[in-house]
Amino acid sequence: MFMSLKVFTTPFGIVIPTGASHSRRECEAMWRNLLFLARTFAAIALFALSSAVAQAQKPAPANPTADLPAGTMQAKATTACTECHEARIILQQRLSKAAWTKEVDKMTKWGAVVDPADRDALIDYLSTNFSPDQPAYEPQRTAADKSNSGKTK
Amino acid sequence: MDSRRDFLKQISAAALVAGATPSLLARALAQGQAVEVPGEDGMVLRSFRFVDLESPVEYFNTWLTPAPHFFVRNHMHEPSELDAHDWRLTVSGEVEKSLTLSLAELSRIENHPVVNTLECAGNGRSLHRPQVPGIQWGKGAVGTARFSGPRLRDILQRAGVKSTGKHVMFRGLDEVPGKVPPFIRSIPIEKALDADTLIATHMNGSPLTKHHGFPARGLVPGWIGAASCKWLTEIKVLDAEFVGNFMSPGYRLPNQPVKPGDAVKPEDTHPVTALTVKSVIAGPSDGAPLKPGKVVVHGAAWAGEANIAKVENSTDAGATWAPAKLGRDQAHYAWRLWSYDWKAAKTGDYTIQSRATDSQGRTQPATAVWNPSGYLYNAVDQVNVHVA
Repeated sequence: MFMSLKVFTTPFGIVIPTGASHSRRECEAMWRNLLFLARTFAAIALFALSSAVAQAQKPAPANPTADLPAGTMQAKATTACTECHEARIILQQRLSKAAWTKEVDKMTKWGAVVDPADRDALIDYLSTNFSPDQPAYEPQRTAADKSNSGKTK
Repeated sequence: MDSRRDFLKQISAAALVAGATPSLLARALAQGQAVEVPGEDGMVLRSFRFVDLESPVEYFNTWLTPAPHFFVRNHMHEPSELDAHDWRLTVSGEVEKSLTLSLAELSRIENHPVVNTLECAGNGRSLHRPQVPGIQWGKGAVGTARFSGPRLRDILQRAGVKSTGKHVMFRGLDEVPGKVPPFIRSIPIEKALDADTLIATHMNGSPLTKHHGFPARGLVPGWIGAASCKWLTEIKVLDAEFVGNFMSPGYRLPNQPVKPGDAVKPEDTHPVTALTVKSVIAGPSDGAPLKPGKVVVHGAAWAGEANIAKVENSTDAGATWAPAKLGRDQAHYAWRLWSYDWKAAKTGDYTIQSRATDSQGRTQPATAVWNPSGYLYNAVDQVNVHVA
């Protein structure tokens, strides 16, 4: 199949197969060029990945708090819960519906503003997203502290 | 043709890299973003607002834990304003004479050092099954530091405790959100008058940092961290245990083991006070790939008010146990570092376990006692490793 490929030369002098027929030597040269392209592509992809990871590992000072997951109750849960504490406190829980019911009622007593008409939907939202069968929560780390070497006096 | 096969391999590799990029990136974005918390270094972020930070277990390789590596547990927001000059500590209640002390006056009272392992009562909560609500601590809500400051008893003696004084209440300056009950607790007068119970102003030779209670905190050695109130501003001697959420129902254990879902009456509970016997493996890490040969298994072990008598290790999932070597550094309320030289002769998967026994004869159980708030988790610790 590849014997019938034509080639054209790119501005960088790399030969690309396009469909014409060629000798075995030309074919080998063509595959060598393609191999070079593939390696270059892989290197660029790896560089892009490592740059993205390096970028991702930079501190995110703008918004160090986390968000609650999407859902019809996301906005109301955010208002009710994150007035006092951030979403991570919720994201790390893995609780039954009975346990979430107790938590919602305790927090309402402690000042969380929950419209009684929304109570059941809020409990459903929390117990669906943060049930015991959900995968374990993966916490972030704090940045390295440059001001302190960590030495103990 | 070889070159073609190579090409196809290379294309596959490139496609793999390109295809893997979104998922790897998603993981990097989810876990890699390090959040700046001034004064803290590479800690596990359990919560940013309010700040709750856990030490990664690999930090447990020094007898004293540096402040930037020491766990932080806050129930409320840290005080927004702390001025050492304006700060005052009051002593009142069942005393002959109420006192108001400035930081300068406090610093003139005889200083006493205590090396103490401080552990959050909820350390290990995430390991209880079924899971219970609360900060989902792994194994690292514990650390050891040399705390120093005046003895609480020297301050109480200046005020003169009346015979009616049975409990000593601490109140800190943390800021209470919403209608949350304030974080106020009390300790029995006997523990308050112990020669090692402090009003600590220093940690590892430096003034307390804000995260650790600047300018002064209670230091109730051998007891759960919640007893050692941070940003202390009020001491009150009471004729009975303080009545409030963080004394009951908070920080209480059922008198008898209960099953999940059982109703527990308040009168069938008692306050959590002293820590229990426990060890944690700091290395090798869980899931670590190891090479055959000598592997140093190491960690820390502590027992609250008791001393560590021995630490044993198993590398065959608990079938046989061998004694670990205990570290040289020791103090009454401080953890012992330990190490065990394991000869990993054969390749394969291994479960390494550690089990501590204390001077009261208590040994870490295979399974921790489940309780509704997930306090005092102390099951035999273990990591799984692969030798290849």
